[in-house]
Amino acid sequence: MKIVLTRIVGVFLGLMVAGTGTSFGAASSIDGLIAGAKKEGVIEFYGPSTLGPEGAQALADGFNKKYGLNIKLNFSPSGNMTRDTAKIVGMSASGQPPEWDIMVVTDAHHGSLWLRKLHQPFDYAAAGVSKERIEYDRGTVSVANQFALPTYNSKLVAAKDVPTKWEDLLDPKWKGKLGVINSTHHWGRLAAGPWGDEKTLDFVKKLSAQKPLLTRAGEMAQRLILGEVLVSATLQDSQLHESQQSGAPLAFADKVQPVISPEYHVGVLKGAPHPNVGHLFVIFMASPEVQAIWKKHTGHSSAYVPGTDAYKFAQGKQVVYMKQDQAAKVDKISRQIGKILGFN
Amino acid sequence: MKVETRNQSAVGAWEGLSRFMPQGVTLFATGLSGVLVILIGLPVAMVILMSLRTGFPGEDVPFTLENFATVYFTPRTYEILLNTLFFAVSSVSITLLIAVPLVWILMRTDIPFKKTIYVLLTIGILIPVFLRTIAWILLLSPRIGLVNKWLQELFALSSPPLNLYSLTGMAFVQGVSFVPGAFFMLAAAYRSMDPSLEEAAYTSGVGKLKTFLKINIPITWPAIAAVMVYLFMTAIAVFEVPAIIGLPARIHVLSSLIFTSTTPSTGLPEYGMAGAYGAIMLVLGLTLAALYVRLVKQGKKYTVITGRGYRPRELALGRWKWAALGFVFFYLAIEVFIPFAVLLWASLLPYLQLPSAEALSSLTLKHYLEIPANVGPRPFINTLILMLAVPTITMLLSVLVSWIVIRTQVSFRGFLDTLVFIPHAVPGILMAVGLAYLGLAYRDYFPLYGTVAIIVLAHTINWIAYGTRTTNSVMIQVHRELEEAGRVSGASAPRVLGKIILPLIAAGVLNSWIWIGMLSYREVTMSLTLLTRNNVVISTVVWQFWGSGWIPQVAALGVILILFATLVVGTVRFALSRIGEIGSAS
Repeated sequence: MKIVLTRIVGVFLGLMVAGTGTSFGAASSIDGLIAGAKKEGVIEFYGPSTLGPEGAQALADGFNKKYGLNIKLNFSPSGNMTRDTAKIVGMSASGQPPEWDIMVVTDAHHGSLWLRKLHQPFDYAAAGVSKERIEYDRGTVSVANQFALPTYNSKLVAAKDVPTKWEDLLDPKWKGKLGVINSTHHWGRLAAGPWGDEKTLDFVKKLSAQKPLLTRAGEMAQRLILGEVLVSATLQDSQLHESQQSGAPLAFADKVQPVISPEYHVGVLKGAPHPNVGHLFVIFMASPEVQAIWKKHTGHSSAYVPGTDAYKFAQGKQVVYMKQDQAAKVDKISRQIGKILGFN
Repeated sequence: MKVETRNQSAVGAWEGLSRFMPQGVTLFATGLSGVLVILIGLPVAMVILMSLRTGFPGEDVPFTLENFATVYFTPRTYEILLNTLFFAVSSVSITLLIAVPLVWILMRTDIPFKKTIYVLLTIGILIPVFLRTIAWILLLSPRIGLVNKWLQELFALSSPPLNLYSLTGMAFVQGVSFVPGAFFMLAAAYRSMDPSLEEAAYTSGVGKLKTFLKINIPITWPAIAAVMVYLFMTAIAVFEVPAIIGLPARIHVLSSLIFTSTTPSTGLPEYGMAGAYGAIMLVLGLTLAALYVRLVKQGKKYTVITGRGYRPRELALGRWKWAALGFVFFYLAIEVFIPFAVLLWASLLPYLQLPSAEALSSLTLKHYLEIPANVGPRPFINTLILMLAVPTITMLLSVLVSWIVIRTQVSFRGFLDTLVFIPHAVPGILMAVGLAYLGLAYRDYFPLYGTVAIIVLAHTINWIAYGTRTTNSVMIQVHRELEEAGRVSGASAPRVLGKIILPLIAAGVLNSWIWIGMLSYREVTMSLTLLTRNNVVISTVVWQFWGSGWIPQVAALGVILILFATLVVGTVRFALSRIGEIGSAS
């Protein structure tokens, strides 16, 4: 009995110590980051242009308020995430430090960085970030989810014609009236996920036979609005959000499943000039207050945070999320799909 | 014969004074060549290096011919090459069909509103090509094009008669957008042309059209040939029209392949492949450069400005005045008025729509009011730096190069001329990638990466070919006897250049200065490739907005810039018109 009691007390004490250790570790790691951030004083922040200068300033204000800091945030709006990701790879290859401390780009772009070990990992879980939001070997944290679905001009497409499944896009009635955006990783995600290679490639070949117009996403939204394209095979909700705000007649074919969900991730770049403020900002980006700012300025929120619009949208739907073990596959097959469609 | 004897003896006397001049000129030419070899050669060398490697700039990988094997053993490459040639030839043909009569009308006749037309042509340059292309989509798209709709209604056609999404459609849009450039390149040659041959033709009873075809065109052939060569290379390298019209319809040309290799839709760029495709352009460019050098060598045959006093006289158009005005304003309509109207319309809408009562009721100034918040001051300041620094440095170098090439007997002048033409054989995007590589890999020796200076450098290198084509073509027409007269009077070579040649070519130099400033203002490919957060310029802001689908915001920005530039260009042209007249009439 004495032995049992001793063991129970031992386990209890052990758990207490472990628990204290974890919270102490988190506090000490955050304290260390705050101290380091104070010395660094600035953060070079790369993010989607939809955030805008006001959104970036709102993030900076929230960050400084939360940690009692006075960090200056320099915002570089994304013009082309692929190009800028490549720039980081190129700078690293030539031994130069990256231009930015942290980048908020899609999981596919972070995948390209991760494959080349260009993140600066950190134990974000120890700092209180939910484990399901941490990806790429502790290199990134998920911030928000985009959703990509067929999108149509609601003034020009009758309700009865709105696609309800992906295969509807292959109907001959859409020939010459479809658009496909250059985010071929949308199809790559389906290939790495529920559809597999064969079904995806077959679908894409048939889609290509429909002679769709090929453009970038922002441009596609304009062509949809003008009526030059009636249905875009996929379009992110960011374009939909912006267009709807201006009163443009765009709508998701929201009965179509599975829903593709590219995620915005944030991560500190290897060799970042301000790593402490960088890691602290990544932790901040996982906080609930950022969800409100991000939603207000970009229209996106996280599907992992209960109560958000993205969380609600994803309920009851088959949503395709990309995980780090799919990064290489998505990268490779997306190029192949780009060739089939005629982008390259 | 007497004149030659006098000249020979005079030159003989002058030789004593200037015994050291040839050495001085050679020394100067050597120094200039050295600077240009470094300036042009390094980025080009980087591009060649790139084509021989896989991976990224700076990565330690072995040399390989893999990129060339992939490119040259693919039948698709040759299909695309054919597309490219068709696109380039058609674009240049369309340009010349419009530009040559236009320049003749404006430079050789008494057509009214010349200054207004001239300013409007300059404004045409300011409208970014991709915005003009959007305007053409609204007019000629098979689905929504207004012109197609009107034609279908008018002739009860079952399908749209015009299709912008074709090689011909691309060539049309590109060809029209080249016209102001061709105009500015040809203007100086036509303005400075000795009218005695024209007058002789008219006195002999030859008609205006025949005189134009048999006298004006042959006389200005070197300038036209230079423009053809230049535009042909430009047409092969441009990517905005191929990107906006060609790519959506899967019509690829070499430039769009390079673009998609360096800016792929997914994954990472293949710089090596871009280098291998660029090598095709390089070969074409060098071939054309050789052709151009031959043309310059023959230039003496075409000398039309001589020491004989003359005053270019304008041809009275008489009853043809209205036809000429109609032609000019038709061109201005498709080059300036319609695109500007489309921009203005788009800038006032909450989102891009075709004209309708509903659209009219939703007009707003919102996008204008949001510009300061959306853009900030830095892009404007950086753009101003480009617009002043690029043309100044380019024209300074161009005048010096052309003087050596055309006016001296330096043995390696042909090499120098070919050297400055090389940048035009290298697509801007590759040149910029080469400079970026240089800046990244050798930052300690070349600390310009991320600054406006690297864009100034890229633009200067890129347009030195254009600058020297213009200065060459105007210098060819200044007869040597003027220079010899100066030397006989005891003036040094630099003094002859400054006091005789420069005033004679001032009009051409000024035209090119303005034109290069405008090109620099609207250039996007190189600026985008070299973009960092510190060297943002207006064109990259516009492109970023465009990529994000912010068409009304882009349009508002475009309208403001065009109005501002109209004011600046109008003022500059008015203030400097006297210099232009001196330059053309002396």
